[in-house]
Amino acid sequence: MRITTVRIIVQTIVMTLFMTFVFITTFAHLNEVPALAFWVSKFLEIDPLVSIATSITTHTLYKGLAWSLVLLIPTLFLGRFFCNWICPYGILHQFTGWLFNTRNAKAKIDSNRYRRLFQVKYYILIGFIVAAFFGSLQIGLLDPICLLHRSLTVSILPALNAGSNSLSQATEGTALRTYGDWLDFGDPRVHQLGWVVGFLLFFLVAMNLVIPRFFCRVLCPLGATLGILSRFSLWRIERDPKKCTDCDLCLQSCEGASDPHTKLRKSECFVCFNCIEDCPHDALSFALLPKRNHEVAWPDISKRRAALAALGGLLFFPFSKLSGRTTRDFSTKVIRPPGSVEELEFLERCIKCDQCIRVCPTNVLQPAMLEAGPEGVWTPIMNFRIGFCQLNCTACGQVCPTGAIQRISVEQKLGLGPYEQDGPVKLGTAHYDLGRCLPWAKNIPCVVCEEVCPTSPKAIHSEYRQLLVRDGKKQIVSATPVTVTLADYPNPGQAFGERCTFKPNEYRGDRTTSYHVQIIHRDGTSETHAILGNDGDTLLIGELDESGEVVNGSKFAKIPVRGEVAAIHLEFKVPKIDTELCIGCGLCEKECPVVGDRRAVYVTAEGETRSQQYLERDRNRSLRLMKG
Amino acid sequence: MANNERSERELSASSGVTRREMLIRGGATVALAGAAAIGAKLLYDPVGDAGLQPPPAIQLKDYFGKIKAEYPASAPRISTAFGRPEYLESPDKIAQMVRAAIGGLDEKGGSLGIRRFISRGDTVCIKPNVGFDRGPALGATTNPDVVRAVIRLCREAGAKRIIVADNPIEDPAACFAKSGIKAAAEAEGAEVVIHADAHDAPVQVRPGSPDPARHEALGTWPIFWKPLKEADKVIGIPPIKDHNLCFASMGMKNWYGLLGGRRNQFHQAIHNIISDLGFMMKPTLIVADGTRVMMKNGPTGGRMEDIRIGGVAGAPAIVASVDQLACDSYCLQKLLGRDPANLQYLQFAWDKFGGDASRIVARHWQEYHGPGLVVEANV
Repeated sequence: MRITTVRIIVQTIVMTLFMTFVFITTFAHLNEVPALAFWVSKFLEIDPLVSIATSITTHTLYKGLAWSLVLLIPTLFLGRFFCNWICPYGILHQFTGWLFNTRNAKAKIDSNRYRRLFQVKYYILIGFIVAAFFGSLQIGLLDPICLLHRSLTVSILPALNAGSNSLSQATEGTALRTYGDWLDFGDPRVHQLGWVVGFLLFFLVAMNLVIPRFFCRVLCPLGATLGILSRFSLWRIERDPKKCTDCDLCLQSCEGASDPHTKLRKSECFVCFNCIEDCPHDALSFALLPKRNHEVAWPDISKRRAALAALGGLLFFPFSKLSGRTTRDFSTKVIRPPGSVEELEFLERCIKCDQCIRVCPTNVLQPAMLEAGPEGVWTPIMNFRIGFCQLNCTACGQVCPTGAIQRISVEQKLGLGPYEQDGPVKLGTAHYDLGRCLPWAKNIPCVVCEEVCPTSPKAIHSEYRQLLVRDGKKQIVSATPVTVTLADYPNPGQAFGERCTFKPNEYRGDRTTSYHVQIIHRDGTSETHAILGNDGDTLLIGELDESGEVVNGSKFAKIPVRGEVAAIHLEFKVPKIDTELCIGCGLCEKECPVVGDRRAVYVTAEGETRSQQYLERDRNRSLRLMKG
Repeated sequence: MANNERSERELSASSGVTRREMLIRGGATVALAGAAAIGAKLLYDPVGDAGLQPPPAIQLKDYFGKIKAEYPASAPRISTAFGRPEYLESPDKIAQMVRAAIGGLDEKGGSLGIRRFISRGDTVCIKPNVGFDRGPALGATTNPDVVRAVIRLCREAGAKRIIVADNPIEDPAACFAKSGIKAAAEAEGAEVVIHADAHDAPVQVRPGSPDPARHEALGTWPIFWKPLKEADKVIGIPPIKDHNLCFASMGMKNWYGLLGGRRNQFHQAIHNIISDLGFMMKPTLIVADGTRVMMKNGPTGGRMEDIRIGGVAGAPAIVASVDQLACDSYCLQKLLGRDPANLQYLQFAWDKFGGDASRIVARHWQEYHGPGLVVEANV
C-alpha cells in the first residue's frame, strides 16, 4: 500500500475518533459511562502547546497533560508529522482545500512555494509564550485543537442540531417516525456570539482557496511549536540532486510549502509524503540522518521581528491587566463554573477549548466576549437567562483538561460528607431587584424563585406580608358586626367620598393571596380582619348564627362608625434571600417570569467561594465580611 | 462568389431565428409568465396577515371516555394499598402494592384490574413527576419502582406502546437519569421522550381567552404534544409533595409537567392553573405515589428530613383512582395530613368540572366514603 493511502486511512480514523469524542462530550453520555471523561479530552491533552504553555503559567503539569509526551517524543524523531496525520483541524483544512480546489497543476505548484508570510506563526507563538510567562494564557485563541473544539461546540454542532431537528419534525406522524426519532437531539443550544466563532471558522476554511493550508502555514502556533521541535528530527524528506530534474512537480501537492524541490525546510514539512508520491524520478525519499547541508533546519525567523513579537506579548500583560477587569473593575457577570479556581489562576489555566460549554447539560455556560477582560475572550461564564447550574452535576470539571475547573465530586460541590466543614461551592449570590419583582413592586403573587430554589433548606424563603392595595384607603359609610360598607377616601375639601364600586368578590382571595381590612378607629386603636367576600361596596368579614356567635371568619371588636378610616390590604408571600444558604446556581434567575434582560432575581459573582482564600484580591468581596 | 454566397447563408442562419426556435422560446416565455401568475394567485394575500396566522390548535382527547361509559356504579373510586416501610427496598413489593391498589378499583367479585383501563393494542402515555435532578430517595420525583410496576401492568394488559414523558424544570436528560425513571422505563421496554421545545404544540383547553374572574388560566397553550399525539390512554403517577406556593403538589399539579412555553407565569394565579389542568386533562387513571411523601421544603426537598415514608399514614401507600379531584383531597388528608377545605384549587376544580358528565368526580373524597367507594387494603 502506498504510504499516502496509509496516511489517508489514519487521518480518517483520527478525524472519526475526534468527532466522536466531541460528540459524546455531553452530560448524558458522561453520566451513563463516567469512564468516557478519561477519553474525551485526549486530543487536548496530547497537544504539546497546551501542556507547555500551561506549565509556564502554572509551573505545574496538570494530570492528563503528561500525555503530550506521546506527541512530543515522536516529533523529535519524525518532525511535524502531527500536522498531516493527527491534527483534526489540519485534516479539515486539507480535506476542504482538496474538495474546493480550483487550481490547475501549474497553479498548484506556484501556490505551494514557501513564502515569508509563513513566518507569522512563529511570531504569534512567541507573543503567546511571552504573555504566558506573565500569567496570561492566550494560546487557546489559535491553538488548532482548542479552536476546532470551540467552533464545533458553539456553532457547528448547534447548527447541525437545528438541521436534524427540522428533519426529525418532518417525519413526525409518518412511517419514517422511528428514523426521525434518531435525528431528534432536542432543542439546539444557543451560544452568545456563536456566530462570530462560526464565521471565523468559515473564513479560515475559505482562506484555503487563497493560500492552501492558510491556517496551518500562516497562523498555527502549535504548528510553530512543532516546527521548532522538528529541528532535531532524525528523519526527513531528502532530495537526491543527481536524480532530480528540477521539474518542481514535488510542489504540486506539498501541504506544508516546505521546499522539497530544493533545501528542505524541516520546520515547515508536514511529512505528508505527497512529494515522494508525486516525484516522477524517484529523487525524493524519507531518509534517516541525511546531509545537514541539504536542509534548512531552523525556521525562517527574523530576530528583530521576533523581538517585536516578544514585546507585543510583554505588553499584552500590562495592557490587559490595566483594563481592570480582573482587578478593581471586575465584572460580577463573570460567574465561573463550579470548581473553578480563583480568577487570576483561572486565566492562567483556561485554554478556551469550551469543552465545559459542550458538556454542560443546561446550556448555562457561554463563551465570554469581553466580560472577563481581553484575556478572558471565549472562556466559560454563566448566563442564567439561558440555563442554570444543575445541583447534582460537576460535568464541566470532569472534562476540563487543564484544571481551570477542578475535578470536584458532587459531594464536594454540595459540601456533603467529608466536605461538610468546607460548605458548598458557591458560584455567587442571588439578589432581588425589588422594583421588578412582582410581589414586591406590583402586588402580583409569584414566588416561582422559592419554588425552584434547590437547596435544602431553601435559600429563598418567603414571608406573608400585607401591602395596601391600590387606592386601598377608604372611608366607612356604615357597618354591622360582620360587614362594613365603604366609600372612597374623600378628596381635600370633600366631606365624603364616592361610594365604592368593587367587583363582586374582588377581595375574596384564593388562600394563596388573601385580603384584609384594617379599621382605624377614632380613638387611635385599630383592628384587622380577613375579608371573606364582598359585593359592590360592602366587605364581609364573618358569618353569624342566630344567636350572634361567629361561625365563620370574625366580627368587629368595636363596630366601625361612619367616617372612620379603613384600609384594604392584600396579603401574600414575598420572597427573600438568605445569602448564607444561596449557592448562586441561578435557577431562580432562569425561571423568573420577569423575563427582561434583567430578571427580578439575578445572580452576581459576589460571595463566590473560589475567591474566599484570596483576601488581598479585589474579587474577594463577600456579602458578609464577618460571619457568625 | 461561392464564398460570398456561403457567408451570406451562414450569416442568415446565425443571426436569424428559425420558426421552430421562435416557438420554443416564445412558449417558454409564456409558460414562465403563466407560472408566475399562478404562483402569485396562490400566494396572494390581500390583507397581509395570512402568513401570520398561528397553527390551528389541537384538542386534547378524552382519555377516560370509554372507561366512564362502562364503569360500574358499585366499583370503588379510590383504592389504596398500604405497605410496610421496608417494602421501599423491594421493587417486587412495590409492584404488589400497585397491583393491589389498581385491583382494588374492581367491583365486588371483579377481577379486571388494569384491564379495565388498558386494552390490547393501546398506546399508553405515562406521566410521572420527573421535575428535578434528584435521586429517588429524596422523594422529589416519582418512585421509579412505581413507574416500573405500572408499565409492567400495562404490558400485561396488552399495551402496544408505552411512552413515559415529562417536561422537568431542570435538564430533562439529567432528571430522567438521576430519578431512576429512565432506567426503570427502558428496562420495561417503554420509550422515554425527552422534552424539547420543538415537541410542543398549541392545545386548545377552552375556546377564547381565559377569564380570570372565573379563575381560568388556560385558553390555547403549548403542550408537550409529542408523547400525547399517539396516546390512547394517559396514566398520571404523581408523587405526593408539599408545595411552597400551592400548598400541595399531587395529581392535578402533575399535569403542569405537560405545559410548555413560559409556564412560570402561571404562579401568579397558581390555583387557577392547577384547577385548569384538572379541567384540561381527563386521565385514564391516577396512580398516586405515597411511598416517600415530601412533608416540607417542597416541591424540591433535598434532605432526608423533608420526606416521611407514607406521610402521616406512616406506611407507604399507593392510591389508585378514577377521580383526580377526590384523589387529591384524599391524598392531602390521608398522606399530608392537611384539610382539603383549605386547598383553594380543589374548590376551583369542582367549580370548573364538578358537573362534567363525562367524568367521575366528587367534591371531597368523603362523599365516596359513605357508599363504600373508598377501599383501603394492606399488602
